[in-house]
Amino acid sequence: MKSDTFWRYATLAPAVILFVLLTILPLFNLAALSFHNVEWINREAVWEWVGLRNYAKLPNDTLFNAGILNTILFAVVAVAFQMVLGFWLALMTTRVTRLRVFYRTVFILPILVPGIVIGAIWKLMYSYDFGIINQVILWFGGNPVDWLGNPDLALMSVIIVDVWHWTPFCFLLMLASLESLPQDIFEAAEIDGARRWQVLRYIILPLMMPAIIVTFIFRMILAFKVFDEIYLLTGGGPGTSTEVISFTIYRRFFTEDQSGYGSAMSLATIAVIATMIILASRFATRKGPEQ
Amino acid sequence: MIKRHLLGERLRFAGLLAGTAMAAALAAPSLAAEAPITIVINQSPWFPGFQSVVELYEETTGNTVDLDVNPFAGSLEKQRTAVRTDESPFDLLIMNAGFFVEFYKGGFMDPLTDIDPEFKLSDDIYDFDESVCWDATAQTVSCGGDGKLTAVPVNPNILILHYRADLYEEKGLEVPKTWEELYANAEMFNNQPKMYGISQRGQRGAFDVTFDVFPYIWSHGGGIFKDQKAGDFTITINSPQTLAGMETYIKLATDVGHPSTAGQTQTNVIQNMATGKAAHIMSVLAPGLFDDPNQSAVVGKVNYAATPASKDFPGATPLGHWLAGVPKNVPDERKASALAFLTWFQTPEAQEAYARAGSAPVSRAVLEGPMSETEEFRWMKAMAESIPTAGLTFLIPEASQVLAVTELRLNEAIGGQLELKDALNTAAKEIAAIMTEAGYDAPMLDELK
Amino acid sequence: MTDHGRSAPLARHAVLFGFALIVLFPFLWIVMASFKTQIALLMGQWKFSPTLYSYDAVLNGKTSDFVTNFKNSSIIAITSTTIVLTVATLAAFSLYRLRWADWVLRILLAWSVIFHMVPPITLAGAWYTMFRSIGLDNTYAGIILAHTTINLPMALWMMGVFIKDVPKELVEAAQIDGAKTPRVLWNVVVPIVRPGLAATGILCFIFSWNEFPVALTLSQRATATVPLGIGKYAQENTIAFTEMAAASTLSIVPAFILLIVAQRFIVRGLTSGAVK
Repeated sequence: MKSDTFWRYATLAPAVILFVLLTILPLFNLAALSFHNVEWINREAVWEWVGLRNYAKLPNDTLFNAGILNTILFAVVAVAFQMVLGFWLALMTTRVTRLRVFYRTVFILPILVPGIVIGAIWKLMYSYDFGIINQVILWFGGNPVDWLGNPDLALMSVIIVDVWHWTPFCFLLMLASLESLPQDIFEAAEIDGARRWQVLRYIILPLMMPAIIVTFIFRMILAFKVFDEIYLLTGGGPGTSTEVISFTIYRRFFTEDQSGYGSAMSLATIAVIATMIILASRFATRKGPEQ
Repeated sequence: MIKRHLLGERLRFAGLLAGTAMAAALAAPSLAAEAPITIVINQSPWFPGFQSVVELYEETTGNTVDLDVNPFAGSLEKQRTAVRTDESPFDLLIMNAGFFVEFYKGGFMDPLTDIDPEFKLSDDIYDFDESVCWDATAQTVSCGGDGKLTAVPVNPNILILHYRADLYEEKGLEVPKTWEELYANAEMFNNQPKMYGISQRGQRGAFDVTFDVFPYIWSHGGGIFKDQKAGDFTITINSPQTLAGMETYIKLATDVGHPSTAGQTQTNVIQNMATGKAAHIMSVLAPGLFDDPNQSAVVGKVNYAATPASKDFPGATPLGHWLAGVPKNVPDERKASALAFLTWFQTPEAQEAYARAGSAPVSRAVLEGPMSETEEFRWMKAMAESIPTAGLTFLIPEASQVLAVTELRLNEAIGGQLELKDALNTAAKEIAAIMTEAGYDAPMLDELK
Repeated sequence: MTDHGRSAPLARHAVLFGFALIVLFPFLWIVMASFKTQIALLMGQWKFSPTLYSYDAVLNGKTSDFVTNFKNSSIIAITSTTIVLTVATLAAFSLYRLRWADWVLRILLAWSVIFHMVPPITLAGAWYTMFRSIGLDNTYAGIILAHTTINLPMALWMMGVFIKDVPKELVEAAQIDGAKTPRVLWNVVVPIVRPGLAATGILCFIFSWNEFPVALTLSQRATATVPLGIGKYAQENTIAFTEMAAASTLSIVPAFILLIVAQRFIVRGLTSGAVK
């Protein structure tokens, strides 16, 4: 029993130590910063206590408001597509035997490309003058489309890129989860003569719920942090139509060097994401066929 | 010449140190008189030229210079973290025109003449609207009064008008001196979708669309603030003059410009010229880019001129130049080595080599010298003509907060999401709020109606 | 494999193949771009004479440190992935199978997910200061620690899901047999969660390999990673697209190889006997 206790602590310790050393300290620093304004005078950082003023400024910040709204829209639409598409592709892939390895490899590929490259490459493909997409449209006799410069289209164009880039994330996790389901379930179901969608609805989905929720949460968080792709793609424009919150934070925190205000913005954003994720997972678990 | 210089440098450097160090320096058998230094710089079209010059420096002096090259995104943050620690890993910072004031004003940079009273900016080198000096008493950029030399320019990044010389010749046109002439010429070539009369940058970024509208608004007597150098922060972005400048920009864009001007980045603009789809662009100069057959379909067809004027005001271009400065938190020995490099960098030999390696030099002697008469370096004349008209854009550390406003509002006006007058009025209000909070006296003009 | 793939209709293949094409196209386009000249790429030319210019510039160019970047990224990504998998698997096993109080589980998971929401770039400054004060700035160790921490929340949650699937009875049976905890982990748990380990590992590796802002802050020239090398081609005013495409193509290779290798472990089958 003594050795039991030892292993209990020893297995958990590394994670706890990492968290304490590398996350709690910086996060507390961030929280403290959010109540201050920092100015540099003669190489010294001067912290001026401003109370809740940084938080009070948030609702009137054009970029922050646009950033939050766009990000929510972006994350919900993009992640919804990715989850459904990823799950569906994973299901289809497990059901074929031929070319299975080929499909599996191909569907994961986009995730390997660094975000900054995705931004650059899609910018070229969306290019008004020489982009491949407009080339094809012209070839079919259409008019060139201003994918990234038209405020009504820009966010959608960005979402398309994100779906292309991140569906593999969902696909991979759904696949791993599907593959570790006991195979006899499928067999039993087929012997019972259950219909495919019934198997899906009452057997596969409930079994995969934990994996689906974790994939959803992490995909959602990543979507909220989207940065490098959009950096080169639109830079947040035109106007504020693709301004996402990590941009706003980056701009306020770093480019403008308002670390106090930027920290307040980070923490407020965390509160928004957390609320959204809690609500969404509540909804998912309640809707989930648990009965 | 270089060697003589070096000896002088060596003696001067030695004079700063104790006698033993002096003996050691003179007795050192190797040519390397200086401690190795590290320069932090970002990758850019002119960087390869700078690298060649650094290599030449290493060859001729035996000193070691390490270049810490960074992507453009994030390089500012990297410089900031470096100067704010106890000891900066970088001995020379290459600072951008948009942000150098922050480093000056925060007291991070050591005045070069404090490191070595003998150090001077060579007469050949431009001072770029005195941005090389900082007056700590008056808290402003100035070489007079208590102003001290704090940086040496390394690259003149200014907007130059690029036009298709071959098409001009075909039609027998003159290089435009005014916006009306530019408009007329652009209209003549405008044949969309085959060719745009002009391609302008209108996208929102860190310092993108705002940078590119300066030639328009300055040449109409407008601006963002009245007179930053004199400490007059009256907000003039919604003055009738600025409005006139913006109207000129938008008229070009709508009538003879790119259909997606609000979505155009500098990359798009350069691409339009390189692929032969634009008759004119205004862009910071990338010498040689349009003459490189690997990058351009218009080799030998592009020529350069200063940005146009209006009938009431001369042309003026914004400075996006780069400055090299020494942070305070660097050991003395490495500060001296950094100065040795800066001294050498200002020599005519170095500046000429710099130009030959494909970058724009910062030396008047080179820009106006015999090289400028050759076909390869035909851009030099336009540059030499423009630099005296070039002005600093921002002299306040709050520049990037103001830019966040102007980038958004100007972009919205260009893209038609906001009425131009509303955009300028809104921008004025938002800038006033930022300036007031930062403690400036920043009065506003009457609203544009 | 079982028989549910037996009668895969042609339609299913058609759909999958269609998707494969959509996925592959931009990818092939990047590879193609890497063999073009900048102007051929900008003009959207389909006929072009392939050139190795970009690869030469990336691999041998004076301003390029790509080979060093590659080595750095390999060391950092492999080490941090190994550490993060180990730490996360141990912790997940501990939390779900070694009878911790409910609050411990909740706090740890909640904290990790909250931490994951913070944009890493806002922490990079604090890490830089910490690491610099103990001499870990501009070292592999600093970046490895940072990447391990960034990927830990996701790895912890994912390994949690997979370990929860390991039947409690199996673990208990092994413990009754007198097996020590490490042994139970290695012989019973790891084989079952292998698909999960492979999936988590692939993701952690890729995230570390592609991570940009933190690596930028914590590294200097000698420790710079591949994304920094690629990011350099997005310059102040222009993008050197073809060099960027060449660098990306090269950078994808290791992750691609890993993907092919790790694939094998995602496929279940070996251990199905143990589950039944």
